[in-house]
Amino acid sequence: MKSSQSFLAMALAVAGLVLGASIAPARADETCNSPYMANLIKGQEDYVHVWTLGVKGIGDGSDKLVTVDVNPASPKYGKVINALSVGGRGEAHHMGFTDDRRFLWAGRLDDSKIFIFDIATNPAKPKLVRTISDLPRKTGFVGPHTFYAMPGRMLVQALSNTKNHGGVTGLVLYTNKGNFVAKYPMPTTEVGGVKGDGYGYDIGINPAKNVMLTSSFTGWNNYMMDMGKLIKDAEAMKRFGNTMVVWDVKSMKPQKVLSVPGSPLEIRWSLKDGDNWAITASALTSTLTLIRQDDKGEWHAKQVATIGDPAKIPLPVDISITADAKGLWVNTFMDGTLRYFDISNLEQPQETFTKVVGSQNNMVSQSWDGKRVYVTSSLLANWDKKGADNQQYLALYHWDGKDLAEQWRIDFYKEKLGRAHHMKFGAKAVKTAETPQGGKLALE
Amino acid sequence: MTRPRRLFAIALWLAGQTALAGTPVPVKAPLGLPPVPVPQDNPLTREKIDLGRKLFFDRRLSPNNTMSCAMCHVPEQGFTSNELGTAIGIEGQTVRRSAPTLYNAAYMLRLFHDGREFSLENQVWGPLLAGNEMGNPAVGYVIERIRGLDDYRGLFERAFEQGPSMGTIGMALASYERTLVSGNSRFDRWYFAKDRDALSAEEREGFRLFSGKAGCRACHTVGARNALFTDHGFHNTGVGYARGMGGDRGYRVQLAPGKHAEVRESETASYSEPPPNDVGRFEITLDPADRWAYRTPALRNVALTAPYMHDGSIPTLEEVVEFYDKGGVANDALDPRMKPLGLTDEQKRALVAFLKALTGDNVEALIRDARRAAPGS
Repeated sequence: MKSSQSFLAMALAVAGLVLGASIAPARADETCNSPYMANLIKGQEDYVHVWTLGVKGIGDGSDKLVTVDVNPASPKYGKVINALSVGGRGEAHHMGFTDDRRFLWAGRLDDSKIFIFDIATNPAKPKLVRTISDLPRKTGFVGPHTFYAMPGRMLVQALSNTKNHGGVTGLVLYTNKGNFVAKYPMPTTEVGGVKGDGYGYDIGINPAKNVMLTSSFTGWNNYMMDMGKLIKDAEAMKRFGNTMVVWDVKSMKPQKVLSVPGSPLEIRWSLKDGDNWAITASALTSTLTLIRQDDKGEWHAKQVATIGDPAKIPLPVDISITADAKGLWVNTFMDGTLRYFDISNLEQPQETFTKVVGSQNNMVSQSWDGKRVYVTSSLLANWDKKGADNQQYLALYHWDGKDLAEQWRIDFYKEKLGRAHHMKFGAKAVKTAETPQGGKLALE
Repeated sequence: MTRPRRLFAIALWLAGQTALAGTPVPVKAPLGLPPVPVPQDNPLTREKIDLGRKLFFDRRLSPNNTMSCAMCHVPEQGFTSNELGTAIGIEGQTVRRSAPTLYNAAYMLRLFHDGREFSLENQVWGPLLAGNEMGNPAVGYVIERIRGLDDYRGLFERAFEQGPSMGTIGMALASYERTLVSGNSRFDRWYFAKDRDALSAEEREGFRLFSGKAGCRACHTVGARNALFTDHGFHNTGVGYARGMGGDRGYRVQLAPGKHAEVRESETASYSEPPPNDVGRFEITLDPADRWAYRTPALRNVALTAPYMHDGSIPTLEEVVEFYDKGGVANDALDPRMKPLGLTDEQKRALVAFLKALTGDNVEALIRDARRAAPGS
């Protein structure tokens, strides 16, 4: 075992002991955080941080972390209170907290830079404390996408590579301080009867099962391309992932490749005690797929529902599972629709509510109690709609179980900010947060 | 001697010194190919080739460290991209045409699909400076960038006895590209070395059709002692016309293996940038007869360089043969040689079999050699 793997296994074992009792409640994705993460916000969130793509000719044209005050008790409720530009445009995309929730990592899919923000010192005004610029040189991978907290570590899923900008890629492990630890290529050989395509997208870990799932999207060539051009390029359209991978977390070795056609994206585990399933949505085939362990301990993938009319390619791009794991929000980009699925019967999810929230929509994040649902608009700079349909916004809805009521909407173009993409919640209480292991962490 | 003449003489002397620097590399053309043309002012040397390879793969030759020549001309993908119809440049910008293969680029008399350049030394600056390819804003920007990189220290001086400049960067890249020569295919061993067993009966029949009924050889020429499979000319087959002048085209879009959707061009309007127009060689000559005409590609290693045509719109050799069998796409500038061929299915298979026999014997070696270079970032 490599030293990095050995350390990770040990860290996970310790974390398992420490977190054993605290993992179970982390059923929601508030909206999709790692179960190793401390301090889930179960009450009212104070802030929403929006990782925003700079747009040439709008404001300073740079990617930025935008912070919005979302506490209704605040005089600045629903207003942008901070915008921290990081310089240039590099396809800002997703973010993830460190396990202690003191730092927020944010990545760019084009130039592969990773920005580490201190959100603990002053959650209302994040501070950029480190920029990692050498991921491609150190790993041969490109496009850091998912940032997933592990005990004292951050696991990063890349999307592409420096050899050909295709979809074959890997995972990268860093310390919380941003020091490179190890890399793990996605499988390209047959594992458990299905050949890996080597592609990556999201990470989802179930610590109780020692299982990590990864999903598969596409490489730089495709995610950077104009979407109209992409749809019409027959060769490019062949280059999307059609697999998920079941990994042994402690050894970081792939155990089984699952066939999940049509580019499975976000992974949402139910971490309820005794539950052994996760759900994902395939973007191209517009399907929900259940990943579940059978009585013999084998993992299987099963398509359980379609989303909208798959022939029209509605493009489900984000999902958010409810705290009780009985409901699932699904955003479909093409028709700007937010959909609610009742997943009480996992084998037969039912779409019970739909609402058009804009000309386009991408990310959906709900509060722990499920009463507040936030939506943003931007998918990828060159996939977003053009002209009047290129609405860029952050919107808050209240959900009463039957209907969504819009509370406010911030026009990110009118505010000269850019394209609103990934969201993470912030709270004033984070200032005093400690690591799950009890020791405060700080970047040097 | 007048002052201008003195300066000219000094410049000539300097060029001569530049040309003579380094360790000469003899170039032996493989079976089936003529001697590799090497400009007098840029003889091949080990130092230049190594430097050119390093530059070719270096992603730092774009402002945001994402694009190198090799990101579009991928060694494992026939020195083109098998995964894209038309290329993608910096920040995902649209490039109108496919990345042409660099196999045997040393022999090309005209470069780019529209033939707007004449030498590899000059050609390299096209992609380096194109805003939608590698995106460098100026020649000086590239030169200063390279000058600032520690790992290039002394390399230009060893290769050229001078530092990086517009000339030396072009010469280094051209020197590496000139090594991507690939021949000695099974066809060469059969046709030029008279090895009767080198081709199967079907492949031999394919060549007979290639030279006869199918009419391919009229443009993809084969000489008595060697064959480049190109006439270096420009022809309108209707591919460009169909793309530029076609109506509301339909596309069969793969959603997953075995699962497709039908999408019309008009349905993509909300998320498509306006497709760029492309009139081919006409854009260079302004001669109406050159509308939608593109350079005849050489066919060596053609089995490795899918998808085909200047816009990568035809995915397989089988479909290329089908396209020509139908006589291309009618338009008023269509090459008069484009006519329905009336090939049988058996003849089509034979043609494809022949085309697949044009793969050189050094492909793996060229890939191994290419990957000696690091991507830089």
